[in-house]
Amino acid sequence: MHIPDGFLDAKTWISTTIIGAGAVSYSLRKSKLSLEPNKIPMVALIGAFVFAAQMINFPIAGATSGHFLGGAMTSILFGPWIGTIVMAAVLLVQAIVFQDGGITVLGANILCTGFIGCFTGNGIYMLGIKLLKGRGRAALTFIASWMSIVAAASGVALLLALSGTFELATAIQAMVGWHMLIGIGEGVITMLVTGYLMERSTAIPARGGQAAYENVPRHRA
Amino acid sequence: MRTFRVTAHRTKWIVMAVITIATAAVLSPWASSHPDGLERVAEDHGFLHQATAWNKLALIPGYELSSIKWTAASVGLTGLIGIAVMAGALWGLTRLLTRSGGGRNEQSAPDGIKLKHDNG
Repeated sequence: MHIPDGFLDAKTWISTTIIGAGAVSYSLRKSKLSLEPNKIPMVALIGAFVFAAQMINFPIAGATSGHFLGGAMTSILFGPWIGTIVMAAVLLVQAIVFQDGGITVLGANILCTGFIGCFTGNGIYMLGIKLLKGRGRAALTFIASWMSIVAAASGVALLLALSGTFELATAIQAMVGWHMLIGIGEGVITMLVTGYLMERSTAIPARGGQAAYENVPRHRA
Repeated sequence: MRTFRVTAHRTKWIVMAVITIATAAVLSPWASSHPDGLERVAEDHGFLHQATAWNKLALIPGYELSSIKWTAASVGLTGLIGIAVMAGALWGLTRLLTRSGGGRNEQSAPDGIKLKHDNG
């Protein structure tokens, strides 16, 4: 779902560039507060995994393919701020080194697949964990990541409509339609990876809605 | 309430690294070449021709090294370069973030002590 240059008109790409830059710099500030030094290799590896997995287009239907995005996965693992940073870094490398996704639309891509994807995925996951008291995590992860793709696709549709490329209702119908299928792949991959890399926390959850994956003591295998 | 955290088990992260390398190097040449969701929509609604690329300086446009004739090797190698760049960039960035966080520099203290100990 990488928007190339030329799909968005000037007012849309300029404003999404500004908002995107703001979202990234704010995420950097928030990440600084929540990032522990022992997470560095994990974050770097997950970023590499997101890049690798995004290369793998899987066929869906009607001579169309889809690929993993990773916003839900990174934000479930590390929280939405670090998630946004990882996604922004992936999009940046893809656009600069591999010409995948445009330069003018980097802000738009970071906002849709990064920011919206991370916050939708993490938001639904955290809410579900709270409501279900931690039960049904696998199903919850699937739903959260599926929703993150649908939300990201709606974001892209909205920007296309704002650019006058096509009408909002048609744009949403077309984008969401395909990404409801692609979201299944996203859900499965996110479920498998987070299922493997996450474990029951014995630490007492921090107060004030603080995510439980933060400030946990490190132990070695 | 059950809470969850990212595992610190080394083996699991090593497995994850192996999966990442295998995906980038071995699986990538077999990816579907059909248009993705957005490209499909753009094609169906007649605006795919609007796509351009501002970035003419991309080192490896389209994930293929033109100098290598064998496509599978070309894409696989590109995947490896990609994950190396990605991991390196994020390692550097997150290191910078934790360094400039203030009060997080205690990490260097034990190293210093250890070094002294080794010398003695």
